[in-house]
Amino acid sequence: MTRRRSQYIALFAAAFIVLFFTLPILWMVMASFKTINDIYAIPPVWLPDFSYLENYVLLLTENWQFLRNSIIVTLGATVLCMCFALPAAFALVNFGFRGRHLLADWILSTRMMPPIAAAVPLFIVFNTVGMLDTLPTLIIVYAGFNLPFAIWVAMSFFRNIPKEIIEAARVEGCSWFQTFWIVALPLARSGIATVATFVFIFAWNELLLALFLTTREAKTFPVVISAFSTVTKTYWELISAATVIQILPPVIFTLLMQRHIVSGLTMGAVKH
Amino acid sequence: MTDISGTLAGSLPQRQRVDTERTAKLLFIVPAVIYLFCLSIIPFVYSVYLSLFQAKLTRLDRKFYVGLENYKDLLTDPTFLKSIQNTAFLTLSSIGIELILGFTFAKVFLSIRDMRAGQVLRSVAILPMMITPICVGLIFGYILNPTLGIANYLLSQVGVDPVTWFGDPAVALPTVIAINAWQWTPFMMLLMLAGLVSIPPSLYEAAELENAKWYHVARWIELPAIRDVILVGVILRVIDNLKLFDLVYVTTRGGPGDSTELITYFAYRQSFSFFQVGYGSAAAVIILLISIIVTTISVNYLRRLQND
Repeated sequence: MTRRRSQYIALFAAAFIVLFFTLPILWMVMASFKTINDIYAIPPVWLPDFSYLENYVLLLTENWQFLRNSIIVTLGATVLCMCFALPAAFALVNFGFRGRHLLADWILSTRMMPPIAAAVPLFIVFNTVGMLDTLPTLIIVYAGFNLPFAIWVAMSFFRNIPKEIIEAARVEGCSWFQTFWIVALPLARSGIATVATFVFIFAWNELLLALFLTTREAKTFPVVISAFSTVTKTYWELISAATVIQILPPVIFTLLMQRHIVSGLTMGAVKH
Repeated sequence: MTDISGTLAGSLPQRQRVDTERTAKLLFIVPAVIYLFCLSIIPFVYSVYLSLFQAKLTRLDRKFYVGLENYKDLLTDPTFLKSIQNTAFLTLSSIGIELILGFTFAKVFLSIRDMRAGQVLRSVAILPMMITPICVGLIFGYILNPTLGIANYLLSQVGVDPVTWFGDPAVALPTVIAINAWQWTPFMMLLMLAGLVSIPPSLYEAAELENAKWYHVARWIELPAIRDVILVGVILRVIDNLKLFDLVYVTTRGGPGDSTELITYFAYRQSFSFFQVGYGSAAAVIILLISIIVTTISVNYLRRLQND
């Protein structure tokens, strides 16, 4: 009896927590379906007409190019990052070379470093070679800045593969590359998907580096969104629609893979 | 390569195998190391070098050496000192809020027996930490807007005067802190949940038999069980708060005055708004130094936890 009542209280409290974390987001989603007049209306319009899509049409007709930039950069950076990170993580777990702990520590510590401390040099280098405001530049930089994270978390997944399996593959005559490609990658695939998803989200959410590495053509969606709020005017109808589009991929990923989020965000230090 | 064992019959293929094996192994790790080296270490070193010059981003060919002058100027620059103070205050208080709320919320989710319901509610509750930081800033910019925001409207319904959340120097930083804590409380909650589920039920039962109060349980059973995850969370949050940029960029731009100026934002503006790259780099190097100190303390610890 009391046990059941305490369960109701717990569920009620949990629902309250969920509302606390989602209502602000939902309020912005509502705004994206409101006319400008309704956005400015006091008292507020509580429920908009969800068939009103003008804000989205207006936003995408003028900014489709930048959304496309974001998609290309994010996908490109994710693929490039994984190409470098996965072999390195495999090596750090399976090759018993000297100094590998030190190397792993060094890689982890670069994750901790503030990107702002690399900002000016990166700007100067890409400016000198004439690659400012191009998508490849952003892909290279995003892949690089996510490399430590990807290596470190991928390591924790490769470590879960029993050593006997790797050894058996070696005894059967597999080269290290074959062992990596045919044996280790398929076994760690769900972990790899997690790492790739995180890299995708980090690159998708990034603003600081894109702000100074792009000027016009290669602007990413976050850069464009941040420019909707100017000193003289804030375009809430555009901001709300853009916010909904911008947060859609992270929201979908979070709902799909919440099981892996703890170990991902703590670089594998905490397992669920 | 001159050792004579290679000339002995039968050992030549052996040595070749060892060599190709070594090359193969190097091919796995060296590209990533070079990549990281070019993208972080070299730029960092170059930043340190630049911080010793007076230089303009638009006229880099005409920079001149000033030694530690930029650092001396920084330490007497009231805006920079304020940014350090703000960053420290923001880091401490938002992590404090995240810990307290995170623990409370984790306890709520822990007490839900229906696994399915608990999991669904939890995965919705963690959305804030995954969504784009600038969007979090804009979502609250919209809610807290002085003219069209719903927050002031609701306050007016209960007779409270409108608050200029981002416009009042005394309120702006607490507002930014609250938004930051809102976004990252789910992170602490998840971490603590991961620690709390590892406590065997028998410990709770024993505590019940002993008539222990809730704070005894928290102090002697729960806290020891989640100490490690709390430390991991705090380390990562300190690092992230040192880098905090997006949130103030879309809400306050450091203002009003310098009331929400943070170190990363300060360094960014020096370099890319005022083009004072020498001065901006010096500020960035100070952030780098703080990060290195925090990192050196924590990396060993994080590795130990991952290997366990």
